[in-house]
Amino acid sequence: MSMFQIRPNYSSLARCAPITEKPGTDRAMRIAIERARRGKKAAPFGQQQAFDAAIAKLVRAIPVDAQVAEWFANESLIPLVKRRWKKILLNPVVIAIALALAVIGGVFAYRVHEHLHDFPGADKARRLLSVASSTRSVILDPLKTDAGALSDLFFLKHRLEHYDIPPEFADFRTLGSRVFDDDEVHGVAQIWVVEKRMQFFLFPAEKNPKDGSVTDFSDWRFVELEGWTGAVQQRNGVCFMAALRGREKDLAPYLEKRKQ
Amino acid sequence: MTGGASKAQDAFQNTVREAALRSARDEPPPDRLWFFRDARWRCLAVSEQGLQAEQGTLEEAEISPVAPMQIEQLDPDQLAVWISAAPEPQRSALALFYLDEFSLREMLALLEIKAGELSELISSGRHQFQAWLDATTPYQGE
Repeated sequence: MSMFQIRPNYSSLARCAPITEKPGTDRAMRIAIERARRGKKAAPFGQQQAFDAAIAKLVRAIPVDAQVAEWFANESLIPLVKRRWKKILLNPVVIAIALALAVIGGVFAYRVHEHLHDFPGADKARRLLSVASSTRSVILDPLKTDAGALSDLFFLKHRLEHYDIPPEFADFRTLGSRVFDDDEVHGVAQIWVVEKRMQFFLFPAEKNPKDGSVTDFSDWRFVELEGWTGAVQQRNGVCFMAALRGREKDLAPYLEKRKQ
Repeated sequence: MTGGASKAQDAFQNTVREAALRSARDEPPPDRLWFFRDARWRCLAVSEQGLQAEQGTLEEAEISPVAPMQIEQLDPDQLAVWISAAPEPQRSALALFYLDEFSLREMLALLEIKAGELSELISSGRHQFQAWLDATTPYQGE
């Protein structure tokens, strides 16, 4: 098919204008008839239509053999074509639509699933995962100690109360730490540990916008962003997040250690 | 189209038989055009047998305002004979067009020609028929 739409030859179309107007007539043909009726050649077109109508009338009067007429009258002799499901399903258009719907459905289901397990502060946690992915060790103050020992430092130096490292991660050796204010998250403590170059974050929990209350949770909840995974726990109005490059299963052994 | 009712009868009979066979094989005709397409090819095959009319150039005349009255004086069989004597594909084009049962798209699909060709076939058919009318059935005006 040509890329360009070719303008129909209306005068040519008008020469084979239907004898009686039918409901499903093409748009081009309708335009051709309209032009012929209103144009300079309206009179010859009228003669043509009268000529055709007279012949069509005569054609209807042509005697048809009784046997042939019977065949055509008895249409039930020929079964109607059944639209088979298999044929419909294999139609490329149907396949394309089905694939598009499947992709849209998949994306929608993924987004719903992603937000179904969200918790207050999940957005902050994801934002800090992006910080984790872009952080270089040089921007942290070098500090070699046990992670659990930093709670006092945060309280004494930065007045950050309840910035405690959960027991699962308290024994991990640190490489450095810093306290910073992000555009959206204020009073963030970031700790870099030796173990698998994991990073810990401590930040204020999300408050209920209605009453300002904070609902803590002691179980581990997970967030993911661009190949990074964070395990989040909230106690005393402070969120702790252990973040590493990998998946939930890479963090699982550290979380299970405490249970044992 | 065949120039003989019995030949046409045979062609249609074979078309219906073919449709029944297809249905028995669970492959029924895909659409109503199939019948006409199949019947047309059978009619063409039948009409190619036996004596053939010599091809010639027919005279043409402008459509007359009194043509409808001239046509009214005709016997339907005369028209059938005139159309059946036309060369292919004009014969099929005129037959399908004056049956007034098919849309332009359907006619093009059945005849396997382009819209411009169909227009030309019908238009020249009109003018040839008018010339034949003028020669055989001059209008006796009041």
